[in-house]
Amino acid sequence: MSITVNIDPLTRIEGHLAIRIEVESNRVVNAFSSGEMFRGFEAILKGRDPLDAQQITQRICGVCPISHGTASILAQEIAYGVIPPKNGRLLRNLILGANFIQSHILHFYHLAALDFVDIAAITKYKGKDPVLRDLKAWVQSELSSNVIYPATPFLPRYSGEYIQSTELNIQGIKHYLDALDMRRLAHKMCAVFGGKLPHATTLLPGGVTEKVTARKIASLKSIIKELQAFIDNSYLSDVAEVALDFPEYFRIGKGCGNFLAYGVFPESADNSKKLFSSGVVIGEKLMAFDSTKITEDVRHSLFSSRSGLQPSEGQTVPSPHKKGAYSWIKAPRYNATVMEVGPLARIMVDYLKGKNRKVKDLVNGLLARLGKKPEDLVSTLGRHAARAIESKIVADKCAEWVEQLTPGQPVFRDFTIPETGRGMGLTEAPRGALGHWLEIRDYKISHYQCVVPTTWNCSPRDDRGNPGPVEQALTGTPIVDIKNPIEATRVVRSFDPCIACAVH
Amino acid sequence: MDITRRKFLELSAKMAAMMGLGTTAIPKIAEALEQLSAVNAPVLWLQGQSCSGCSVSLLNSEEPGPAQILSGYISLLFHSTISASTGDVSMQVLNRSIDHGGYLLVVEGSVPEGMPEACVVGGELFTEQVLRAAKNAKAIIAVGTCAAFGGIPAAENNPTGAMSVPDFLKKNGVSKPLILLPGCPAHPDWIVGTLVHLLKFGIPQLDKKGRPKMFFSRLIHDQCPRFADYERENFAKTFSEDGCLFMLGCLGPVTHADCTLRLWNSGTNSCIKAGAPCIGCTSENFAASASFPFYRKATLSKKTGA
Repeated sequence: MSITVNIDPLTRIEGHLAIRIEVESNRVVNAFSSGEMFRGFEAILKGRDPLDAQQITQRICGVCPISHGTASILAQEIAYGVIPPKNGRLLRNLILGANFIQSHILHFYHLAALDFVDIAAITKYKGKDPVLRDLKAWVQSELSSNVIYPATPFLPRYSGEYIQSTELNIQGIKHYLDALDMRRLAHKMCAVFGGKLPHATTLLPGGVTEKVTARKIASLKSIIKELQAFIDNSYLSDVAEVALDFPEYFRIGKGCGNFLAYGVFPESADNSKKLFSSGVVIGEKLMAFDSTKITEDVRHSLFSSRSGLQPSEGQTVPSPHKKGAYSWIKAPRYNATVMEVGPLARIMVDYLKGKNRKVKDLVNGLLARLGKKPEDLVSTLGRHAARAIESKIVADKCAEWVEQLTPGQPVFRDFTIPETGRGMGLTEAPRGALGHWLEIRDYKISHYQCVVPTTWNCSPRDDRGNPGPVEQALTGTPIVDIKNPIEATRVVRSFDPCIACAVH
Repeated sequence: MDITRRKFLELSAKMAAMMGLGTTAIPKIAEALEQLSAVNAPVLWLQGQSCSGCSVSLLNSEEPGPAQILSGYISLLFHSTISASTGDVSMQVLNRSIDHGGYLLVVEGSVPEGMPEACVVGGELFTEQVLRAAKNAKAIIAVGTCAAFGGIPAAENNPTGAMSVPDFLKKNGVSKPLILLPGCPAHPDWIVGTLVHLLKFGIPQLDKKGRPKMFFSRLIHDQCPRFADYERENFAKTFSEDGCLFMLGCLGPVTHADCTLRLWNSGTNSCIKAGAPCIGCTSENFAASASFPFYRKATLSKKTGA
């Protein structure tokens, strides 16, 4: 007989996620993913000025606002018939790229790493780093005090197997602290041309409002160098260390094995050439992507609107007491197939396409170092590895884009808003494929739908009863102690869920 | 005004505003911060209908940075995005902390008053959880525009009957010292500055809406780097142009905050400085009405019959 275990709230992700697993003979046999917070952005957008959309939709998510702003702008640019000048396109890539780096560093070090690194090891620190010594003194004073929960928010936590080596744990803690500076620096990089982060106001259809100057170029170059050094010297090797210590996670959390990417970071004016390409992988077979194959099921989602609609016709009518439904997240499917999105999907698509030399080299290099094969990438650790590799590719590319900026050249191309229009904005968020669908009537938004990365990854069962990617990845996960299901949380966190995004 | 003098004034204003006191008080505040380190004040951080943007903004704090804040100033009992605890362990920490009381409660996000099922944490309706936590709190900070005023989740046509924290507490008869820190997101200095003031010097001076005067007493327009353009009626006609952004829809003249002086992301930039009209994200009616757009572009397009 199976035992039901609730992991609710599943913390160290963005937002409100509840995971329910059924465990039999110390293995997950069934899993349910529930998004627990709904705001109704699509209803709120209706009747508004179309230009409001890239500001309103950024507020879907405080971790990846730039991606929502970008998706909205791409949809509007189709509707308005405008393309940004070269500087505008490059600046957008730089702002989005910086936020990818910010998000990936935050995810690995501040959200996921505490499932592997033993933070209590700081009490064994004997070195002279003043920051680590301060941290040690604080943890020790907390542990010897009479507060109910000492050293929150770092303790208490699930008991389980963490990294054993004190040296590695101390290094992990040091890099946790360094990473706080690095992600703040990446946000600073966004703000040089984005105005402020989270929620950048300079992004608009037609380009960016902030002008290019030699001073800002110099500023960006210096920030990018620092970020590159951290990714090369810390992030990539820390992921490898975790992989060497927890090799079983190359087998745990494999999931559906199907991948979807829309592609991102345009390198040509017409959006045809991108740094990461679009594609679909089903059963290891690479196919071309066709946006008309996207539909959203709601049979198990808390909506009374029709199931199986394409986003261009999609509806979002809440029904909080709906029978048989267990999540505010819809179940998007591609050609009725369950798809995983995210850095792993992007890397898989480009790896299989074989045209992106850098993706191929970095993946092969890391696999060789760890003694793994390409198929091992489809796993909990594969997702972390893909995220780190992607951070390097994006940071290195930012260093090239910044050199292509020209001071004094336009950053914005003017447009007029038509009385009627339609647009589909497809891009990628740090967490995966992101689409916004827009329709304009009488100069106002008449229809808006967002299908967001975690909508795909954390989706509940679809109309045919097929579990979503996270639900599938959990099935088969070994659980040593049902009171401390740390193994399940490692699997879920490898997807970097964002529930504010997923439900919106 | 030449650049050097303006820079100097900006810097002085920043320091004075951050502390909420005259500059002569700076050494005293530094000393007070040192003493605080001995006993960290317990803080409970709950997220309702939020995007986590204010939490991410707090992570952008510098001097003190987030690690220094967590180990040196506050004892963060629970925060869903940062806490090592998860699942049952989280709920035990949350419940025992609430029962014990005496903490400072920070709420990020609005409250789905009209559809309580729209936000659930650990199997408990957020509407009930926030009341439970508020009743035992010493004081409450509503961080960000969603918590302070309702924000986008409470905008026109919203399906969840979302409400600001003060409105929700009032409706449920909970009365506690309450500070509003609007902003989409709230600036890290506003959060850290308010926390430190509250912990060491008590509740800072608040305006009628409950916002600390040290951050929200003046209009963006009065501190605008493009104010001279406004005076000379030199208006930008489209985006990325020089000049005052008023004709494009800038809400600086009706928005209270210190963004243009304080600047964002380690003093890097601000919306108006970067050529983007202020969209009034700290205002009570931010995004509230569907018929009040952020920009005037659509109106212009319509007029020219495009």
